[in-house]
This record gives sequence, structure tokens and C-alpha cells, in this order.
Amino acid sequence: MLTLAGVVGCRGYQYGHVVKPEAANMVGSHEAGAEVFDPLVQEAVAKLLARQQISTEDCPIGPNGVPMKKTVCFVGIENKSAEDIGDFKDKLYKEIDSQILESNTFVSISKRMVDAALHETRMRPDALMLPDNMQLFTAVLQRGGAPVDYLLYATLTSGTTKRNSSTQRDYDLTLELTNVHTGQYDTVSSEVRKGYHKTAAGKFWNYNPLKR
Amino acid sequence: MTRCSCCNSTARHCFVESTRFTGYFVAGLLVLICLGCSTHSKRVLQPRNFFYDGQLQACRESLEKLAKSNRHDRDVVNLDLAVVDLLAGQPKQAESKLREVRDRFDHLEQDSLAEKTVSMWTDDQVRSYAGEDYEKILIRVFLSLSSLMQDGMDAESYTLQIQDKHEQLAQAFAQRNGKEASEYRALPLGFYMRGMLREATHRDYDDAIRNYEVASNFLPNCEPLLWDLSRARNGVHSQPGHGVLYVFAMVGRGPYKIEVAEQPTSDALLIADRIVSAVGPYKLPPTVAPIKIPDIAVPSSDVDCVGIRVDGNAVGPTVSLANIEELAVTTYRANRNSVIARAVARRVIKKATVAAAKSGMGKDSGWAGIGMDLAGIAWEATEAADTRCWGLLPRDIQVLRVEVPAGDHQLQLSPLLGNRTVGAAQAAPIRIIDGQNTYAICWFPDARSVSQVMCSNWSDKR
Repeated sequence: MLTLAGVVGCRGYQYGHVVKPEAANMVGSHEAGAEVFDPLVQEAVAKLLARQQISTEDCPIGPNGVPMKKTVCFVGIENKSAEDIGDFKDKLYKEIDSQILESNTFVSISKRMVDAALHETRMRPDALMLPDNMQLFTAVLQRGGAPVDYLLYATLTSGTTKRNSSTQRDYDLTLELTNVHTGQYDTVSSEVRKGYHKTAAGKFWNYNPLKR
Repeated sequence: MTRCSCCNSTARHCFVESTRFTGYFVAGLLVLICLGCSTHSKRVLQPRNFFYDGQLQACRESLEKLAKSNRHDRDVVNLDLAVVDLLAGQPKQAESKLREVRDRFDHLEQDSLAEKTVSMWTDDQVRSYAGEDYEKILIRVFLSLSSLMQDGMDAESYTLQIQDKHEQLAQAFAQRNGKEASEYRALPLGFYMRGMLREATHRDYDDAIRNYEVASNFLPNCEPLLWDLSRARNGVHSQPGHGVLYVFAMVGRGPYKIEVAEQPTSDALLIADRIVSAVGPYKLPPTVAPIKIPDIAVPSSDVDCVGIRVDGNAVGPTVSLANIEELAVTTYRANRNSVIARAVARRVIKKATVAAAKSGMGKDSGWAGIGMDLAGIAWEATEAADTRCWGLLPRDIQVLRVEVPAGDHQLQLSPLLGNRTVGAAQAAPIRIIDGQNTYAICWFPDARSVSQVMCSNWSDKR
């Protein structure tokens, strides 16, 4: 009996595996994860780049006759959603930054330089939209050899709808691009909606085609 | 020839068989008894005294010996050793030990039926100790502190792990008690440390606000937390030319478990009845003699907080962000009935085992029966309570944040009781870096004890 107890009741091990690139993301049961953030970033950045590419005619022409790329300073992401995104915040920053860098539209300023400028000016990222602060901040970057055309600011928000034991949360990622020379700004956003249920039938009950 | 009434063999043969059986039974019992003779609280008494006398090396040697000699104590002894390492200026070793125990405790969160079964025949000390909830959080807090005392490389990860663990424990609490996870009461210190590190980025003030808010919800009357929250919402980390000093003060001697004899409560008897019924065809007797269970001992303290001076100028006292005493007592009270129930069930099973062995020997067991009764009494009497716990914790972890001009300064720390200095002050040189955090850890167990102070200057190594 003891042997059986030993076999049946032993503690298990933990295992890991590498997820293939084409495999679908795991869907978080309690909060947003890669299944929400990946499409949010891809959609928002694609929209922004598509819109900005149209207006490349405004760019100054470089010495070789090719339009010069706009320099963008990605200030940071502000999480205003109902959830703590934990270690996703820095990952989102990297993803947005690298996708912008890969485009032919913008040249991005290194995060370390942005951090150093924030450190030197002691300015909060949300205070940079004030004209005086913006001027001071960009002047510090320019002094460091990184002239800036645009400031990019990302905001993550959410909206929650509750129905008994089920919840729907709409996640929005907004990218706000401000021209430091003219003060004009452009905004794009993307949305992913997600349902959370206490029972397995919750999804069918709340999202079946007959429900309206 | 006289025949035995129970087995129909000759009386002499039956006597020999019963004597041999008794011998095996008593020998088996002795093995089980030896497993549960002493308690962790007795074994750790000497190293604890060394620690509070400021003899860190003697304390370490004593704990290392204990870790080698007692397998079941190893994890909690390693936690004590990590504290000794941290205060002895060896944060790397402390971090390594804490990581090992963190992983072990995570693994031991799964139940082992084999251990549960064996513990019913011996005592709770044979079960692997998976740590109390507050200990699991504190392991990660101490990991963050150990990292901050070095290069701070993994400190952010550890603070994320604090949040992750808190979430897991809150979910488990909700499932266990049928309450909302938000009702779970945890240590505000973990959230505070996360906010502290995020604020120091000069960028992620939103994360800082979120974490300070959670900490502030746990301690709504803590004024310095409200200042932190206000600064994160409207201000900046520090003024140009200034850095920030965080003093983490470990105050008082922390709670630990001791063994006491307890009369089972009716709730505990109800749970025990369920355990006994599940194990076999036994019934709970109407009365049960007092049983041995662990209780929480909280040493009295003559230090309330620590007064901080920088370059001779009074800055203020530290404030509590982790009342470990309160958490230990609350956790103990929540689990007390289950512990008593297990002890009662164990008592019943042991009695039933002795009775079954005696009935197997027949009515004429004579001296063998008496011997078996005595062995049974000894079996029950030598049962010991599981007093394993992280013993070298302070009663309270307190924090003070102060903005200081960049440069070299002299830090002075004094133990206070009701705003009155009650012990010798400790001094340490610190280097404040413009726009960055510097950390100091101190421990004042009581007014008489030798206190330890440790400062980080990792940021200037970057």
C-alpha cells in the first residue's frame, strides 16, 4: 500500500519545450499575454508606418538626392490598463522600437540615449508634450548628437465589460507621434478584445451567433 | 499438550512467536521514535544565540553543521544561512542559497501522498517543508535585496517574481477559502520595492504609481507611502544633482515556532474525524489527551524603529512595510485547526495500530502485550511538533527614503524606542550617485545586540 502511495503520490517534475515560430500563442486565462500584445503592436506600428510613408514627400532631401529619414525618439509606454503587464512592458518597447527601426521611414534614437536625456533633464515622459519641456529635452538629445524630428509615445488602455461570471476586456494600444518642429501630431491605435470566463461554457454562452 | 486458543499451535510456540513479533514491533517503533525525538526550534537555539550576539562566523558554522546532519531541516537552515551571508557582506552567496530554497519550495508545493502517509505513523517533521506563504514572498524580497547589494542585475526580475508569487498565493487563498483573491493580505514591501525600482528608471512612473497604490492599500495610514505615491504621480525621482538613499532596517527579533501541548478544538476534531475515516476503519474517540503542536513565539523587543542621520543631520525614523510578526501569527491561526487535526488523527492511527498488533497476538499476550502498550505510549510520547520555520527573520522590515546631494556622506543609524535612542548608533560611509538609488541594510534585533550595517555602491560600478 505504501509503495502504491509512493508511486501515485510522488511530486512531479517541471518540463519545458521550445515553441515553434509558427505555433499559436498560449492564451492567458487571467490577463493579457503574447496573444494580445503581439497583434496590438503589429497592427498599430503597421498603421503608423503606412500613414507616415504617404507624407515622406515633406522630408528634406539628403546630399545624395534621396529623402532623409525622419528621426524618432520613442519616449516610452504608459500602462493605463486595468492589468499589470509586468515584464511585457520592456518587451513591448523593444518590439515597437525594432519594427520602427526596420522600416525605411524612420531612424530611431537609442533607448540608452533617451534614458540619459530623461535622467539629465529630470523630466517625466508625460511632461514632454509641453512645448518648453519638449524643446529642452530635444536640445539635450541634439547636444548628444541625436537631433530629433518626432517624439513617439505609446499608451496601453483597457475597457472592461462584465456579465455575471464572464468578463470582456478590450485592450487598446495607441501610438502618438508628435512633430517637435511644428507641434503637429498623428495618432493611430489598435484593439484586441478578449473574454474571460469562470466556466468552459462561458465562451459559447456569451459569444454564440444567436446572442445579440 | 496445551494448545493456544488464538492460533491453535502449542503454547510454547505461540509464546516464542509473540515475543519475536513484539521484538520486531518495538524495534520498528524505535526507528520511528528516533525520527521524531527533537524539534527544529531546539536544534537551532545555539546558532540563533550566536547570531544575536553578533558572532556571525560561529553562527554560520553551527548552521552548516545542522544542515549537514539533518536533511529535513536543510531548507530552513539555508534560509538562515542566507541572512547570515547577507549581513556578513556576502550577498552573492546569500542570493545563491535563496534561489536554491525558492526553487525547492516551489517544487514542494505539490503534495506527496507518500510523505503524508508516513507522517501519520511518525510526525509532521518527516513531511518536506514547503514554507509559509509569507516566507515565500520574503525569499524573493531578500533575493532582491541581495541583488541590489551587488550589481542590481536581477533585482527587477525578483520584484516581478514577488508579484507573480503574490498572485499565485492569492488564487490559492481564494480557492481554499471560497473568498475573493483580492481579500488576500500580503506583504506591501514587495510592491514597494517594485515601485522603487521602476521610479528609478526616470521613465516608468506609471508602474511606480501602480505598485505604490497597491502597497498603500495594504497600509492606508502609512504617510511616507502617500508621499511616494504623490511624488510618482506629480513629481520626479530626484532633483538634478541629487540621488536617493533607501535604508532597509530589520528591526527586532522575528517570530519562530515552538512546541506546545494543546487540547484539540471541536473544529480540529471534526477535520481529524474525516482524516481518520479516510485512512481506515477507525473511529475518533470522544476524548483525546493533549497533543503536541507548533505555536508562534514572538520575542519582546525594545526597538521600535531606526533613526537615520546623514552627515549629522536628522532625517527621520524608518517606517514599517512588512510586519512579519503579524503575518506569522495570522498565517499560524489560519492553519492551526488543520495542524491539530493531523495530530489527533495520528494519535488515533497509532493507538489503532497498537491495538491491532495486540489483537493479532491473541488474548494471552501477557508480558508481550504490556511491552507493546509501553512501546505504544513511548511512540505517542516522543512525537514532536513541526517547528521548522525561517528563524532568523526580523520582527519588522522598515524603510526610509531620503533624497541626498550626490557625493560621499556619512550615514548614522540609531535604534529607537518611542523616539528615544536606546542603543549604540552605527555609522557607515555611503556614496550617493546623481539620479540613482543607493541602498543600505541594517539589523537591530534589540538595544543590546550588535547590529550590522551594509551599503551598496553598485551604481558607481556601472
